[in-house]
Amino acid sequence: MTTVDPVARAARAKVWDVPTRVCHWLLVALLGFSWWSAETGALEWHRWSGYAVIEVLVFRIYWGFVGPATARFSGFVRGPAAVLAYAKSLGGRASPDEPGHNPLGALSVLAILLVLTTQVVTGLFAVDVDGIESGPLSDRVDFDTGRLFADIHHWSFTILQILVVLHLAAIAFYLIRKRRNLVGAMITGRRRFESDPGLVFAPAWRIVPGVILAAAIAAWVSKGLRF
Amino acid sequence: MAFEDLGRLTLGAALAAGLAVAGGGALAQSAGAKAANMRHEKFETMGRTFKALNDELKKDAPGKAVVVRHAATINTLAGQLPTWFPKGSGKEARPKSEALPAIWSDAAGFSAAAATLRTEAGQLNQVAAAGDMAAIRIQAKATGQACGGCHRQFREKK
Repeated sequence: MTTVDPVARAARAKVWDVPTRVCHWLLVALLGFSWWSAETGALEWHRWSGYAVIEVLVFRIYWGFVGPATARFSGFVRGPAAVLAYAKSLGGRASPDEPGHNPLGALSVLAILLVLTTQVVTGLFAVDVDGIESGPLSDRVDFDTGRLFADIHHWSFTILQILVVLHLAAIAFYLIRKRRNLVGAMITGRRRFESDPGLVFAPAWRIVPGVILAAAIAAWVSKGLRF
Repeated sequence: MAFEDLGRLTLGAALAAGLAVAGGGALAQSAGAKAANMRHEKFETMGRTFKALNDELKKDAPGKAVVVRHAATINTLAGQLPTWFPKGSGKEARPKSEALPAIWSDAAGFSAAAATLRTEAGQLNQVAAAGDMAAIRIQAKATGQACGGCHRQFREKK
């Protein structure tokens, strides 16, 4: 009788590719820098940080369509039934072996991307109360509208802070309860699997059009959609 | 006059005196509130004008007449600014006011900040008349920083 040795089958395999990891950690750094630069009144740096966020967001959305399975939205966005089923499994100590974002984590990814997009777009049209500091598209709207965009820009940031706290709480939950180190996986790109999921990753050349597209859009926006 | 009438007369006089004091106090408050409200309108005009100026300067070819007009408005308002802060026109007169008590307790400091604005706004007015847009953009930024310098010290941080 042959028995399959689980230790022999278990593998440390790649799950997150470089572009996905770079996008994630760039957003962490840029979010922090945007926050700090706004708080200290360094609005020129704040704007540049925002343009960088736009660049990362555009690339990440592009990658969500042409990247590998774990990066694609079609790879992790699931319907309500799957989300509920996964939520029910959270009580146990076991953690599913499927690679990439789980259905619940997927909601968090979408929420953060959506609120981040709101954050940058409102910033583009915002003006401060003194009419001195403003986004590159603020001249397209009047003062009162610009002030409204500024208000939404502030409320949206509060929502972003809440999402970040939830995100960190979830990661802590996985570490403590499920004994799954998600931070390590997002840094090294690898994690232990019961058996190698046999993931295929995207060819490197696909990064290039995304970077060009992202840089072009961010540059165009920074010039107030003028050439 | 009957004793009761005297009593009523005294009461009436006391009430009248009390009302006069209260009414006088209310009138004094409303002068402070009037000043605070007018100041708020003036500052809002300043903010709108600054936005209008900066919007124009964002263009590749800003219109000189527009720039001159806005620079002139800012210069005029900057000149008036020190008169917008009579004693008693702070938060006590208008609760929504963001004017910090330091404006009156550090009158010298406030005066200096207001003078800095007058200098920069005056410079902006001159540079605008000359028509060099690059120079105007630089001076608009400098004027904005003069506003910021005063705000950091004397305006409530939200």
